[in-house]
Amino acid sequence: MIIIAPYAQKLRTGKLNPKNYPYWKELIAMIDEPIIQVGVEGEEQLVNDFRKNLSMNELCALLKECRTWISCDSFLQHLGWDQGKKGIVLWGPSDPLIFGHPENINLLKDRSYLVKNQFLWWEATEHQNERFVEPHIVLEYLKE
Amino acid sequence: MSGQMNSILCSVATRGRYFTTLPLVLNAIINQTRQPDKLIVFDDNDNPQDMRKEMIYSYFFQMLDIKGIPWEWRFADKKGQHHIHQKANTEGYDFVWRVDDDAIPEPEVLDNLFYWIAFEDNVGAVGGSVLTPPYMPDTSQVTGLIDKINQEPNIQWGVIKKAKEVEHLHCTFLYRAMVHDYNLGLSRVAHREETLFTYGLHQKGYKILAVPHATTWHMKNPQGGIRMESNAALYEHDERIFNNILACRDKTIVVLNCGRGDHIVFKHILPEIKNAMVFSCYQDIIPGNTIADAMNYFGDIDQWNIYKKMDQWKWKDSLDSAFRKMYL
Repeated sequence: MIIIAPYAQKLRTGKLNPKNYPYWKELIAMIDEPIIQVGVEGEEQLVNDFRKNLSMNELCALLKECRTWISCDSFLQHLGWDQGKKGIVLWGPSDPLIFGHPENINLLKDRSYLVKNQFLWWEATEHQNERFVEPHIVLEYLKE
Repeated sequence: MSGQMNSILCSVATRGRYFTTLPLVLNAIINQTRQPDKLIVFDDNDNPQDMRKEMIYSYFFQMLDIKGIPWEWRFADKKGQHHIHQKANTEGYDFVWRVDDDAIPEPEVLDNLFYWIAFEDNVGAVGGSVLTPPYMPDTSQVTGLIDKINQEPNIQWGVIKKAKEVEHLHCTFLYRAMVHDYNLGLSRVAHREETLFTYGLHQKGYKILAVPHATTWHMKNPQGGIRMESNAALYEHDERIFNNILACRDKTIVVLNCGRGDHIVFKHILPEIKNAMVFSCYQDIIPGNTIADAMNYFGDIDQWNIYKKMDQWKWKDSLDSAFRKMYL
């Protein structure tokens, strides 16, 4: 079983968070093992098993059970690292050298896609699909 | 922004003193034996004037140009002088010499203050005597400790005959920029702002020095002034914040007004912090007081904003290292 955390925190403006990975549906279609989606109420459901608003204890228990996890740059990449469970982080505009953990698999398409100022509100950054790696690349790492 | 090493910004905050003490202050700054690298006058008047039209000021501006001192007359936003000082603090200079608009420095003040701070990385702020005759207390036995602030005169009120390490300064001094923030939670009277600021530098491990041969004459003018405000409630508000900060002086204040993942990263550093007093957003990750408590207690929590700090530091390293820089 793998866990996915597809979405970064919702922006107050209602704009799409630029850290959200754009190819989840394609990626999910390529994965042939059980997937549990974690997130919060209001996020789009991408798989049958969507567990919302889990407590810290519930998330930690799920991490213990899973083979691995996939996440954008959001809470799960930190919790996975904290719990000693290696996973895949799909980076776009934010810098894995600042916000990531080397213990995870950090997939960044190219550093040229990083936003110049990493410390502004994400509302100031437009979402761009081309910032992210293609799903088949993620799949290669998932099989490792 | 200065590209020079050991660059000094001279900052003057003014209000209601165009035609009384401000011209004396500007003249004294222009005639320092050591020139600042830039002068900014922050004009906090309700009805600011174009001073280029005033004869004396037009001479001052020409003198500054001839002496090669870049200058700027900047209209401030009337939120209080702590906001002005914080702007100066973050202008990109190594040091800021803050001068009040009724405090007239003798010609060698900046040179002597600079001597004490420039060659020792661990000096955070240095000030000289700030004399207001006829009140001239003997301050030779003054400790300058924050605990004694309500029991003894400020060391700068008397003639300082030898250098002394203290815990706080007032009025006018030279300080190392971008090390500590002014507390922007104070009211517009900014009561105790310089005490809190210099004590904050002290708490960060920097020496605060009161030194001789750097006398400023404080021509206290009952009219005008950057604290031109008589509302007692504002002073009480600021005094409460001051007392709250002093009450926590043996603790390391931690304010985590940031994301849930950031709390997880910080959790790994917390055991290394001595006597931490924590205010956090996510109590399930790091229990403690709430962010509302922190705002109520300290007035302003921006100085603990890790993202703002990383931006100021032009940070390239990890979030973990940024937390370490801030708290360890």
